[in-house]
Amino acid sequence: MIEIDDLHKRYGDKTALAGVSFSVKPGEMFGFVGANGAGKTTTMRILMGVLTADSGQVRWNGGPLAFADRRRFGYMPEERGLYQKMKVAEQVEYFGRLNGLAPAAARKATADLLERLSLTDRAGDEVGALSLGNQQRVQLAVALVHEPEALVLDEPFSGLDPIAVDALAEVLVERRRAGAPVLFSSHQLDLVERLCDAVGIISAGRMVASGTVGELRAGEGRGVLRVVVREAAPGWTAGLPGDLAANGDEVLFTGVDGDGQEILRAATAAGRVEHFGWERPSLTEIFREAVA
Amino acid sequence: MNGLWLVARREIVTRGRTKGFIAGLVVSAVLVGAFAFLPKVFDGPDSYAVGVVGSSALQPALTSTAGETEVTTRPFADEAAARKAVLDGDVDAAVVDDRRVLADGEVDRELGALLESAHRTAQTQKQLADAGLDPAKVGQAMQVAPLEQVSVGADTRYAAARTGIATIVVFVLFFLIFQSAMFVAMGVVEEKGSRIVEILLTSIRPWQLLGGKVLGLGVLALANLVVIMVVGLGAAAATGFAVDLPPGMAGIVLGTLFWFLLGYAFFSVLAAALSSLVSRQEEVSSVLTPLQMLVMVSYFVAFFATMEPGTALARVMSLIPPFSSMVMPVRMAGGEVPLWEIGVAAALMLVATAGMLAVGARIYERAVLRTGARVKLTEVVR
Repeated sequence: MIEIDDLHKRYGDKTALAGVSFSVKPGEMFGFVGANGAGKTTTMRILMGVLTADSGQVRWNGGPLAFADRRRFGYMPEERGLYQKMKVAEQVEYFGRLNGLAPAAARKATADLLERLSLTDRAGDEVGALSLGNQQRVQLAVALVHEPEALVLDEPFSGLDPIAVDALAEVLVERRRAGAPVLFSSHQLDLVERLCDAVGIISAGRMVASGTVGELRAGEGRGVLRVVVREAAPGWTAGLPGDLAANGDEVLFTGVDGDGQEILRAATAAGRVEHFGWERPSLTEIFREAVA
Repeated sequence: MNGLWLVARREIVTRGRTKGFIAGLVVSAVLVGAFAFLPKVFDGPDSYAVGVVGSSALQPALTSTAGETEVTTRPFADEAAARKAVLDGDVDAAVVDDRRVLADGEVDRELGALLESAHRTAQTQKQLADAGLDPAKVGQAMQVAPLEQVSVGADTRYAAARTGIATIVVFVLFFLIFQSAMFVAMGVVEEKGSRIVEILLTSIRPWQLLGGKVLGLGVLALANLVVIMVVGLGAAAATGFAVDLPPGMAGIVLGTLFWFLLGYAFFSVLAAALSSLVSRQEEVSSVLTPLQMLVMVSYFVAFFATMEPGTALARVMSLIPPFSSMVMPVRMAGGEVPLWEIGVAAALMLVATAGMLAVGARIYERAVLRTGARVKLTEVVR
């Protein structure tokens, strides 16, 4: 389990992180979302030891995250970096070796990954000769070649076509199934909603929301209660909590504290209840609200 | 340690097949080979053809005085035939009746001396025999051991060869140290600018990355140096110039290798430290200015030392690191250097190199992950 505990970081007089905490459990895919400059990359760089925090700690399976642990992580930095003049397979293999794979194992892992990412026929080409999308796949291969125990990926989906997105998503799901915590940042909230078990929203260096997607959507005060009552006497909503907007028989309650049972009782008393339910906001709506 | 070797191997494999490295290798080897051939070109021929008209005594006398120089003689029936052969260039000169030498213009100086000496010997023998002395005894009496040269001052017999070798050493050291330092700097900025360094440094330590790079490029430079030496000495042997090489060539070769290694270690780590301050290739040359100044000063003093090895400037600079890494090997190649001076220079350079490794690695470690604007040296040295 990756635990990020109260990270603080300042650049000069600008505060980048003001107490960021969250955790990613084994076998959990954690989507890290936030506006540009909110602190996602800074958090991930501190997590990977590329940057030092002013205070706070990163823990791995209960202990401080050490260099030897990070070697078993797969990392994809925000600004992609590859040796442009090195051949694709050679490069992926090289990073496998650096992460401790034996020569034969590195060769095999490279061949398998390139196959999965549809890069086999480009294995002998220099990375610089590839399209940006393909370079991104190589970057991913570099992060995955040593079958990492955890994945930390900064914007892995940006710039990918839908097919590449699916291929990448499949690989991530597979790592999650193998029990690895997977942390990635993205601006593609629909993707995050589709793939992630848990989501963390960061704004101006603080975590403004985190939890499972379901928890966030069901979050208190975040839901909209939609009630449709047929043949109700007008004015049945008087005295009920929350702000409401009526549209014929349909009434939307927002800002309701509690579970809304009193509203249900009032509705039942007023007429035939055709619909009573919480309208869950989409992640995009939650995000907009959270960072506003 | 494994990480260091992997990095070194990558440097050797990828840099070793770049056009820049291969071109440098070929050009330096060709230049040094040509330089080794030059004395041969300027030395003039070492074999002569001489036409002879009406003399029998000259030939054996020529053979005995010519030594290493090969002189062949061709008989001609009369002076007209010999004259024609000289003009046609078939023979370098022709001796007529032991009285005159015919040449196209002036007689080649070495050949003239040889002919004169042979003529003198032959005529002396002939006249002594004519005076009634036993020709065998005359021949014996005329076998004179040549004077042996013994220098009671500095041994200057090999001065020219030593100056030549020292000049090659200056050129080679300057070229290799400068090129390798540039390779190191470009590699550091390539990794920093493209952020590969962020991935690398989650897998290996900064000292492994820096050490592997310096080691790998050092192996390439050393291979280049060995190729240059083999080509240079091989060319010297092939041309027969090798017999003129001063004694102690092995010492000169080993000394050059030793000083190269120290100079390379010092300058390449300095290059890595300086270039880790910037993130773009365009900034490399400006951030390397201090290094370029050091290398250029070393080069000029070393070049000056090839001509004036004994001056105070050369002696002082050959002791001060890092200049000593280029000036001292040149002094050692160019002439005798007192052992204590070599010892002092080596000790100081070793200390300076160790210091540079420590400070340079520290700067590199602190600066290489700080991408963006150029990092100020004062921010990372403390």
